[in-house]
Amino acid sequence: MSGIEAVKVIVDAEKEAARILADAENQATQIRKRIDSCIQEERTRSLDAAKKEAAEIVQRAEEEGRGDATNVAKDAEKNVHDLVSNASAKKDEAVEKLVGIILQVNK
Amino acid sequence: MSETSLFTEDILKAARTKAQRIIEDAQKELEHATQEAKAGISKEASDIVRNAQGEADAVKRRQTSEARHLSKLQEQQEKNRILMEVMDRVRKRVIDATKNNSVYVPYLTNQIEGGIKELGYDTAVVHVNSTDLKTVNRANVERDVAKHLGQQVKVEWAKEPIEAIGGAVISSVDTRTRIVNTIDQKFEALESTLLIEAGKSLFGH
Repeated sequence: MSGIEAVKVIVDAEKEAARILADAENQATQIRKRIDSCIQEERTRSLDAAKKEAAEIVQRAEEEGRGDATNVAKDAEKNVHDLVSNASAKKDEAVEKLVGIILQVNK
Repeated sequence: MSETSLFTEDILKAARTKAQRIIEDAQKELEHATQEAKAGISKEASDIVRNAQGEADAVKRRQTSEARHLSKLQEQQEKNRILMEVMDRVRKRVIDATKNNSVYVPYLTNQIEGGIKELGYDTAVVHVNSTDLKTVNRANVERDVAKHLGQQVKVEWAKEPIEAIGGAVISSVDTRTRIVNTIDQKFEALESTLLIEAGKSLFGH
Protein backbone atom coordinates (compact mmCIF):
# COMPACT_ATOMS: atom_id res chain seq x y z
CA MET A 1 0.00 0.00 0.00
CA SER A 2 1.41 3.29 -1.01
CA GLY A 3 1.46 6.28 1.35
CA ILE A 4 -1.36 8.00 -0.51
CA GLU A 5 -3.49 4.87 -0.37
CA ALA A 6 -2.83 4.59 3.35
CA VAL A 7 -3.93 8.19 3.97
CA LYS A 8 -7.07 7.57 1.88
CA VAL A 9 -7.95 4.50 3.97
CA ILE A 10 -7.47 6.46 7.18
CA VAL A 11 -9.58 9.39 5.93
CA ASP A 12 -12.36 6.97 4.94
CA ALA A 13 -12.18 5.34 8.37
CA GLU A 14 -12.47 8.74 10.05
CA LYS A 15 -15.46 9.59 7.85
CA GLU A 16 -17.08 6.30 8.86
CA ALA A 17 -16.30 7.04 12.51
CA ALA A 18 -17.89 10.48 12.17
CA ARG A 19 -20.99 8.92 10.57
CA ILE A 20 -21.26 6.37 13.41
CA LEU A 21 -21.10 9.18 15.98
CA ALA A 22 -23.61 11.31 14.08
CA ASP A 23 -26.00 8.34 13.94
CA ALA A 24 -25.58 7.82 17.66
CA GLU A 25 -26.26 11.48 18.37
CA ASN A 26 -29.39 11.29 16.23
CA GLN A 27 -30.54 8.18 18.07
CA ALA A 28 -29.88 9.87 21.43
CA THR A 29 -31.89 12.91 20.34
CA GLN A 30 -34.79 10.66 19.35
CA ILE A 31 -34.60 8.91 22.74
CA ARG A 32 -34.64 12.26 24.60
CA LYS A 33 -37.58 13.43 22.51
CA ARG A 34 -39.49 10.41 23.81
CA ILE A 35 -39.05 11.49 27.46
CA ASP A 36 -42.02 13.89 27.51
CA SER A 37 -44.33 11.54 25.66
CA CYS A 38 -43.29 8.60 27.88
CA ILE A 39 -44.01 10.63 31.02
CA GLN A 40 -47.31 11.83 29.57
CA GLU A 41 -48.29 8.24 28.71
CA GLU A 42 -47.36 7.07 32.22
CA ARG A 43 -49.30 9.95 33.76
CA THR A 44 -52.40 9.30 31.65
CA ARG A 45 -52.29 5.56 32.41
CA SER A 46 -51.80 5.99 36.16
CA LEU A 47 -54.32 8.79 36.60
CA ASP A 48 -56.95 7.03 34.48
CA ALA A 49 -56.54 3.94 36.66
CA ALA A 50 -56.78 6.06 39.81
CA LYS A 51 -59.91 7.85 38.55
CA LYS A 52 -61.52 4.52 37.72
CA GLU A 53 -60.69 3.20 41.19
CA ALA A 54 -62.03 6.43 42.73
CA ALA A 55 -65.30 6.18 40.81
CA GLU A 56 -65.70 2.56 41.95
CA ILE A 57 -65.05 3.53 45.59
CA VAL A 58 -67.70 6.29 45.47
CA GLN A 59 -70.20 4.07 43.67
CA ARG A 60 -69.66 1.26 46.22
CA ALA A 61 -70.14 3.78 49.04
CA GLU A 62 -73.38 5.04 47.48
CA GLU A 63 -74.70 1.47 47.30
CA GLU A 64 -73.62 0.77 50.90
CA GLY A 65 -75.09 4.10 52.00
CA ARG A 66 -78.42 3.24 50.36
CA GLY A 67 -78.37 -0.12 52.13
CA ASP A 68 -77.58 1.51 55.48
CA ALA A 69 -80.28 4.12 54.91
CA THR A 70 -82.82 1.39 54.15
CA ASN A 71 -81.89 -0.39 57.39
CA VAL A 72 -82.16 2.85 59.34
CA ALA A 73 -85.60 3.48 57.81
CA LYS A 74 -86.76 -0.08 58.64
CA ASP A 75 -85.56 0.23 62.26
CA ALA A 76 -87.19 3.64 62.53
CA GLU A 77 -90.46 2.33 61.12
CA LYS A 78 -90.50 -0.38 63.76
CA ASN A 79 -89.62 2.14 66.48
CA VAL A 80 -92.42 4.49 65.38
CA HIS A 81 -94.83 1.56 65.27
CA ASP A 82 -93.84 0.58 68.84
CA LEU A 83 -94.02 4.21 69.96
CA VAL A 84 -97.53 4.64 68.53
CA SER A 85 -98.62 1.34 70.01
CA ASN A 86 -97.25 2.17 73.50
CA ALA A 87 -98.57 5.72 73.41
CA SER A 88 -102.01 4.60 72.27
CA ALA A 89 -102.22 2.34 75.31
CA LYS A 90 -101.50 5.33 77.55
CA LYS A 91 -103.86 7.86 75.94
CA ASP A 92 -106.73 7.39 78.44
CA GLU A 93 -104.35 7.78 81.37
CA ALA A 94 -102.87 10.94 79.82
CA VAL A 95 -106.31 12.43 79.17
CA GLU A 96 -107.34 11.85 82.80
CA LYS A 97 -104.13 13.43 84.04
CA LEU A 98 -104.55 16.57 81.88
CA VAL A 99 -108.23 16.95 82.72
CA GLY A 100 -107.18 16.76 86.38
CA ILE A 101 -104.60 19.50 85.83
CA ILE A 102 -107.15 21.80 84.16
CA LEU A 103 -109.91 21.28 86.69
CA GLN A 104 -107.73 21.42 89.79
CA VAL A 105 -105.73 24.55 89.09
CA ASN A 106 -106.18 27.27 91.75
CA LYS A 107 -108.07 24.80 93.87
CA MET B 1 -2.63 -6.95 9.23
CA SER B 2 -0.94 -3.73 8.17
CA GLU B 3 -0.41 -0.85 10.55
CA THR B 4 -2.88 1.22 8.56
CA SER B 5 -5.54 -1.42 8.97
CA LEU B 6 -4.88 -1.63 12.70
CA PHE B 7 -5.09 2.16 12.97
CA THR B 8 -8.39 2.42 11.08
CA GLU B 9 -9.70 -0.48 13.18
CA ASP B 10 -8.88 1.49 16.34
CA ILE B 11 -10.57 4.63 14.96
CA LEU B 12 -13.78 2.72 14.19
CA LYS B 13 -13.71 0.79 17.48
CA ALA B 14 -13.34 4.05 19.45
CA ALA B 15 -16.19 5.59 17.44
CA ARG B 16 -18.49 2.62 18.07
CA THR B 17 -17.70 2.61 21.80
CA LYS B 18 -18.40 6.33 22.05
CA ALA B 19 -21.59 5.94 19.99
CA GLN B 20 -22.82 3.20 22.33
CA ARG B 21 -22.11 5.39 25.38
CA ILE B 22 -24.02 8.29 23.80
CA ILE B 23 -27.05 6.07 23.26
CA GLU B 24 -26.78 4.46 26.71
CA ASP B 25 -26.57 7.91 28.35
CA ALA B 26 -29.72 8.98 26.53
CA GLN B 27 -31.51 5.81 27.61
CA LYS B 28 -30.41 6.30 31.22
CA GLU B 29 -31.66 9.86 31.02
CA LEU B 30 -35.01 8.58 29.75
CA GLU B 31 -35.28 5.99 32.53
CA HIS B 32 -34.25 8.47 35.23
CA ALA B 33 -36.72 11.12 34.06
CA THR B 34 -39.50 8.51 33.81
CA GLN B 35 -38.79 7.16 37.31
CA GLU B 36 -38.70 10.65 38.76
CA ALA B 37 -41.99 11.51 37.07
CA LYS B 38 -43.54 8.23 38.26
CA ALA B 39 -43.04 9.25 41.90
CA GLY B 40 -44.98 12.48 41.30
CA ILE B 41 -47.65 10.73 39.27
CA SER B 42 -48.01 8.05 41.91
CA LYS B 43 -48.59 10.72 44.57
CA GLU B 44 -51.17 12.40 42.32
CA ALA B 45 -52.93 9.06 41.80
CA SER B 46 -52.87 8.33 45.56
CA ASP B 47 -54.40 11.74 46.22
CA ILE B 48 -57.24 10.97 43.77
CA VAL B 49 -57.98 7.64 45.51
CA ARG B 50 -57.67 9.16 49.00
CA ASN B 51 -60.01 12.02 48.08
CA ALA B 52 -62.47 9.48 46.68
CA GLN B 53 -62.31 7.56 49.95
CA GLY B 54 -63.13 10.76 51.82
CA GLU B 55 -65.97 11.52 49.43
CA ALA B 56 -67.24 7.95 49.79
CA ASP B 57 -67.29 8.25 53.61
CA ALA B 58 -69.15 11.55 53.30
CA VAL B 59 -71.67 10.02 50.86
CA LYS B 60 -72.39 7.15 53.27
CA ARG B 61 -72.64 9.47 56.25
CA ARG B 62 -74.97 11.83 54.35
CA GLN B 63 -77.28 9.02 53.23
CA THR B 64 -77.61 7.50 56.71
CA SER B 65 -77.87 10.94 58.27
CA GLU B 66 -80.70 11.89 55.88
CA ALA B 67 -82.47 8.61 56.65
CA ARG B 68 -82.13 9.25 60.41
CA HIS B 69 -83.36 12.83 59.99
CA LEU B 70 -86.37 11.66 57.98
CA SER B 71 -87.13 9.00 60.59
CA LYS B 72 -86.92 11.58 63.38
CA LEU B 73 -89.32 13.80 61.45
CA GLN B 74 -91.77 10.92 60.99
CA GLU B 75 -91.48 10.05 64.68
CA GLN B 76 -92.08 13.68 65.63
CA GLN B 77 -95.11 13.88 63.31
CA GLU B 78 -96.58 10.77 64.93
CA LYS B 79 -95.93 12.18 68.41
CA ASN B 80 -97.57 15.48 67.45
CA ARG B 81 -100.55 13.66 65.97
CA ILE B 82 -101.02 11.65 69.19
CA LEU B 83 -100.50 14.74 71.37
CA MET B 84 -103.06 16.72 69.36
CA GLU B 85 -105.52 13.85 69.59
CA VAL B 86 -105.06 13.71 73.37
CA MET B 87 -105.43 17.49 73.68
CA ASP B 88 -108.68 17.32 71.66
CA ARG B 89 -109.97 14.58 73.91
CA VAL B 90 -109.01 16.60 77.00
CA ARG B 91 -110.92 19.60 75.66
CA LYS B 92 -114.00 17.43 74.99
CA ARG B 93 -113.71 15.81 78.43
CA VAL B 94 -113.49 19.21 80.11
CA ILE B 95 -116.51 20.45 78.12
CA ASP B 96 -118.37 17.30 79.20
CA ALA B 97 -117.31 17.97 82.79
CA THR B 98 -118.99 21.40 82.67
CA LYS B 99 -122.27 19.55 82.09
CA ASN B 100 -121.77 17.39 85.19
CA ASN B 101 -122.86 19.55 88.14
CA SER B 102 -121.27 17.35 90.77
CA VAL B 103 -117.87 17.99 89.13
CA TYR B 104 -118.36 21.43 87.65
CA VAL B 105 -120.11 23.41 90.38
CA PRO B 106 -117.35 22.76 92.96
CA TYR B 107 -114.82 23.71 90.28
CA LEU B 108 -116.66 26.91 89.43
CA THR B 109 -116.99 27.74 93.13
CA ASN B 110 -113.23 27.29 93.53
CA GLN B 111 -112.50 29.56 90.59
CA ILE B 112 -114.80 32.27 91.93
CA GLU B 113 -113.37 31.93 95.42
CA GLY B 114 -109.80 32.11 94.07
CA GLY B 115 -110.66 35.16 91.98
CA ILE B 116 -112.29 37.01 94.88
CA LYS B 117 -109.32 36.22 97.12
CA GLU B 118 -106.93 37.52 94.50
CA LEU B 119 -109.04 40.59 93.83
CA GLY B 120 -109.07 41.49 97.55
CA TYR B 121 -112.24 43.61 97.48
CA ASP B 122 -115.36 43.32 99.66
CA THR B 123 -117.58 43.33 96.58
CA ALA B 124 -116.91 41.36 93.45
CA VAL B 125 -118.71 41.03 90.15
CA VAL B 126 -118.80 37.48 88.80
CA HIS B 127 -119.13 36.95 85.04
CA VAL B 128 -120.08 33.47 83.76
CA ASN B 129 -121.28 32.06 80.45
CA SER B 130 -124.93 31.92 79.42
CA THR B 131 -125.40 28.27 80.42
CA ASP B 132 -124.03 28.87 83.92
CA LEU B 133 -126.17 31.99 84.25
CA LYS B 134 -129.21 29.81 83.68
CA THR B 135 -128.28 26.58 85.48
CA VAL B 136 -125.97 27.34 88.38
CA ASN B 137 -127.56 27.81 91.77
CA ARG B 138 -125.95 31.16 92.56
CA ALA B 139 -127.09 31.28 96.18
CA ASN B 140 -125.37 27.97 96.89
CA VAL B 141 -122.21 29.15 95.18
CA GLU B 142 -122.21 32.41 97.19
CA ARG B 143 -122.75 30.46 100.41
CA ASP B 144 -119.90 28.03 99.66
CA VAL B 145 -117.54 30.83 98.63
CA ALA B 146 -118.24 32.72 101.87
CA LYS B 147 -117.77 29.52 103.83
CA HIS B 148 -114.41 28.79 102.23
CA LEU B 149 -113.18 32.34 102.51
CA GLY B 150 -114.35 32.59 106.12
CA GLN B 151 -115.76 36.09 105.55
CA GLN B 152 -118.79 37.72 104.06
CA VAL B 153 -118.20 39.02 100.55
CA LYS B 154 -120.81 40.66 98.44
CA VAL B 155 -121.10 38.86 95.12
CA GLU B 156 -122.85 40.48 92.19
CA TRP B 157 -123.60 38.38 89.11
CA ALA B 158 -123.08 40.15 85.79
CA LYS B 159 -126.14 39.94 83.57
CA GLU B 160 -124.13 39.86 80.34
CA PRO B 161 -122.77 36.35 79.72
CA ILE B 162 -119.14 35.83 78.74
CA GLU B 163 -117.91 33.68 75.85
CA ALA B 164 -116.20 30.78 77.59
CA ILE B 165 -116.40 27.01 77.97
CA GLY B 166 -116.77 27.48 81.70
CA GLY B 167 -115.23 29.09 84.76
CA ALA B 168 -115.62 32.73 85.59
CA VAL B 169 -114.21 36.23 85.30
CA ILE B 170 -114.18 38.00 88.65
CA SER B 171 -113.94 41.76 88.48
CA SER B 172 -114.11 44.82 90.63
CA VAL B 173 -117.41 46.74 90.48
CA ASP B 174 -115.90 49.30 88.13
CA THR B 175 -114.52 46.33 86.04
CA ARG B 176 -111.06 47.93 86.00
CA THR B 177 -109.55 44.94 87.79
CA ARG B 178 -110.33 41.54 86.35
CA ILE B 179 -109.23 38.06 87.36
CA VAL B 180 -109.81 35.68 84.45
CA ASN B 181 -110.43 32.19 85.77
CA THR B 182 -112.15 30.71 82.74
CA ILE B 183 -111.43 27.22 81.45
CA ASP B 184 -110.39 28.73 78.13
CA GLN B 185 -107.78 30.81 79.91
CA LYS B 186 -106.55 27.73 81.79
CA PHE B 187 -106.07 25.90 78.49
CA GLU B 188 -104.13 28.83 77.12
CA ALA B 189 -102.00 29.40 80.21
CA LEU B 190 -101.32 25.73 80.79
CA GLU B 191 -100.75 24.70 77.19
CA SER B 192 -97.02 24.08 77.53
CA THR B 193 -97.48 22.33 80.90
CA LEU B 194 -100.19 20.13 79.42
CA LEU B 195 -98.01 19.23 76.45
CA ILE B 196 -95.05 18.40 78.70
CA GLU B 197 -97.19 16.28 81.01
CA ALA B 198 -98.86 14.55 78.06
CA GLY B 199 -95.41 13.85 76.59
CA LYS B 200 -94.24 12.34 79.87
CA SER B 201 -97.32 10.14 80.15
CA LEU B 202 -97.40 9.06 76.51
CA PHE B 203 -93.73 8.80 75.60
CA GLY B 204 -92.09 8.37 78.96
CA HIS B 205 -89.97 11.53 78.98
